[in-house]
Amino acid sequence: MSQLQRTELAGGAYFNSVQDSRFKTVLIEANLIVPLSAETASANALLTYVMSRSCRAYPTYRSLCRKLSALYGAELSVSLGKAGDRQILSFTLTGLDDRYALDGESIAAQLSELLCQMLFEPNVKDNSFLPSETDQGKRELLDLIDSEFNEKRVYAIGQTVSAMCKDEVFGVRRYGTAEGVREQTPQSLYDTWKNVLRTADLEIIFVGDSQPDKAASVFAKAFANIQRDPVAITTQFVAKADKVARVSEEMDVSQAKLVMGFRGGRALPDKQVIASQLMAAVLGGTATSKLFCNVREKQSLCYYCAARYDKHKGIMMIDSGVEGDNIQKLESGIMHEIEDMQNGNITDFELEATKLAVINAYYSSNDTVRGIGSWYMNQIFDGEIRSIEEMAKRIKAVTKEEVVEAAKLLSLDTVYVLKNKGDAQ
Amino acid sequence: MNISEIKSARAGDSYFKVLHPSGLTVYVYPKEGYNSAYAIIGTKYGSVNTCFSLDGGEKITVPDGIAHYLEHKLFESEDGDAFARYAKTGASANAYTSFEKTCYLFSCTDKFEESFEILLDFVQSPYFTAETVAKEQGIIGQEIKMYDDSPDWRVMFNMLENMYHHHPVKIDIAGTVESIAEITAEKLYQCYNTFYNLNNMALCVAGNVTVDQVLSICDRMLKPCEKHTIENYFEDEPYEVVAPYVEQSFPVSVPLFNLGFKENADKPLDEKRLAHTDILLEMLASSTSEMYQQLMDDGLINTSFSFELFEGPGYRSVIFGGESRAPKQAAEQIKQYIAKVKAEGLSKEDFENARKSVYGDVISALNSVGSIANTILDHHFNGNEKFTYIDAVADTTFEDVQQRLMQMLDVNNCTLSVVKNGEEA
Repeated sequence: MSQLQRTELAGGAYFNSVQDSRFKTVLIEANLIVPLSAETASANALLTYVMSRSCRAYPTYRSLCRKLSALYGAELSVSLGKAGDRQILSFTLTGLDDRYALDGESIAAQLSELLCQMLFEPNVKDNSFLPSETDQGKRELLDLIDSEFNEKRVYAIGQTVSAMCKDEVFGVRRYGTAEGVREQTPQSLYDTWKNVLRTADLEIIFVGDSQPDKAASVFAKAFANIQRDPVAITTQFVAKADKVARVSEEMDVSQAKLVMGFRGGRALPDKQVIASQLMAAVLGGTATSKLFCNVREKQSLCYYCAARYDKHKGIMMIDSGVEGDNIQKLESGIMHEIEDMQNGNITDFELEATKLAVINAYYSSNDTVRGIGSWYMNQIFDGEIRSIEEMAKRIKAVTKEEVVEAAKLLSLDTVYVLKNKGDAQ
Repeated sequence: MNISEIKSARAGDSYFKVLHPSGLTVYVYPKEGYNSAYAIIGTKYGSVNTCFSLDGGEKITVPDGIAHYLEHKLFESEDGDAFARYAKTGASANAYTSFEKTCYLFSCTDKFEESFEILLDFVQSPYFTAETVAKEQGIIGQEIKMYDDSPDWRVMFNMLENMYHHHPVKIDIAGTVESIAEITAEKLYQCYNTFYNLNNMALCVAGNVTVDQVLSICDRMLKPCEKHTIENYFEDEPYEVVAPYVEQSFPVSVPLFNLGFKENADKPLDEKRLAHTDILLEMLASSTSEMYQQLMDDGLINTSFSFELFEGPGYRSVIFGGESRAPKQAAEQIKQYIAKVKAEGLSKEDFENARKSVYGDVISALNSVGSIANTILDHHFNGNEKFTYIDAVADTTFEDVQQRLMQMLDVNNCTLSVVKNGEEA
């Protein structure tokens, strides 16, 4: 795997680059990392959408889109994410490598320039964003918040996390709330922007064949005039659930959803979290996992039943879609597989197959610019930068006993059910 | 064996096409420096092929959803299922059924040869019994119900039902809970023996492989097939849509719409007409277009807006869709804009941007082994070739696109489908 070059541009602001000649595209991404909080999440989310619509150099959405189109259909995407109690505002640009430009221009340099303009020279006037741009950004974000309700699998998981972590920072949604978004004004958004530039940790990553120096110097210059005061963020950890909370909703749906949220007993920076992640994969991460083989294939209860471990927060979520009458049967089936693991019933085949699948996914990520970008960004969020080879070695070293130990740390916290109005209890 | 190398100076890539003596067409696209390999084998048999005959024999009609059911069941053989075999190599395996084809695939970063043998073996080894067929009813039943709750899926199929009088493209790929209850082992064998003949199939491997490596395994594993004549029957489909509007009440917080323009479909578009169509649609509806900007400024769409050319055996249409708070107004504005450009002509500047943008996209897609293998197969089943298409994009003229516009997007032959919350209606 190509090596990551990492340099600090200003306090808490880093420029990372990976040079790789195999690809036809380049990627340049800025990640602004701020504390997740109910007070600021909506404002930060709105800021991300407004900043990605226009900037001083391209003052309308159309002019920005046309600039991207002229750069051989370069793509801009923005997203909001959570890593533990951190909210991450990401701006990603991908475009053709300079080799494929029809008239010899440097696409990579122009993309870096554009990203800088969006972050540091937004479309503002008299200490305020433009009201029309703020309104359009609000509309876009409110639709996005509402559309999470449209997809019931996504909605059900979101509801479970909210219920489970209602007294914790992690219960705040990555987009904040619709009310929070509506409250923002062009002036408040300007203050949010200033605050984010001063306090956010900034991680820029560049992946491609072109020389990253030019891009690095563009960013270094932009930071020269900014006073930096980044804040440290720690994630609140709850090791164990005291009792099981049950939440249910009724709706006009064909299929019921069951989501089970567990406390996993381990979170980063605990290095043993890797055993918990592997445990979740043995349970429900592959097509040979315990849940897939038993509750799907043997009992024919569902089409999907997946387990995922959040290493930052130390929780595990299992989610499935099921016939309303079979909810109870499914829950027992899932608990049975977990107890089985806690009793040490993991075959060598199950463990080895899971390790191979995880390692295969690691190495596959090295074959795309996005895969390489997100590999290293994840390592940075983890607080330790490791190559694929190093991570593969660590996965291989996890023993069956460690996986069983990890399973024993699980405690069921919240069971969420979404069912049809006519379904049985 | 007939082996030809297909080169593209523009893309800087080349790949091989082999007519294997077994009857199978094999494509190999080596990617230097990649860790992963991606292999996909497909048959020209999808959900629309429910009425057919073999070698001039009697016309056979099979239940809706049987192609997809067969895909699920082919993973099982007498001595266990293919996922368990892949688990020993670490490959990530999957399969999918679309309207016009069924494909089986895997990607891996190690032990390619073992995984490739598994793929070629299970696809040629059907094993269906009354018991194994019965077991799948519950799993696929839940898959169908999951899609019944998906507003994106519903809005599209409601649109197709209103567009097509007879064509089976209007029927859900997985069928219905009732139609799949009619599926038997015997019917599965009948479909398998008709469509899973190597002469009706194609294979593509992209990534960290050589032609010799792929062919030596093909030579060993492929069982030669006699060539048969397959006849697919579709009822004559009128030019006109069935009805102009359909609406379904659904628990969504943002309404969704699909606006489809029906066209006469003789045979699939060739590379040139496909390139003209792709560039035209980019000009009309991408984020840089006047139409998109107007819809956006008027608050009628958000960034979920998308467009696609939807074509296959006996059907072709263009679909615009996305979320909208006012779907009828959005559709009206799209129709008005199309009528306007048909009367007043397209913009040359938009054409240049769109051509660059589509070209950038197709070159960028050559980064991904998955995208390469899937598109080569798509082109193959439509009688086209990938690099010829890339050249056609680069060589498209403004006049080509103008001409194409006049043949399609009949504003008097379209249908609008809306999914929205009943309580708001």
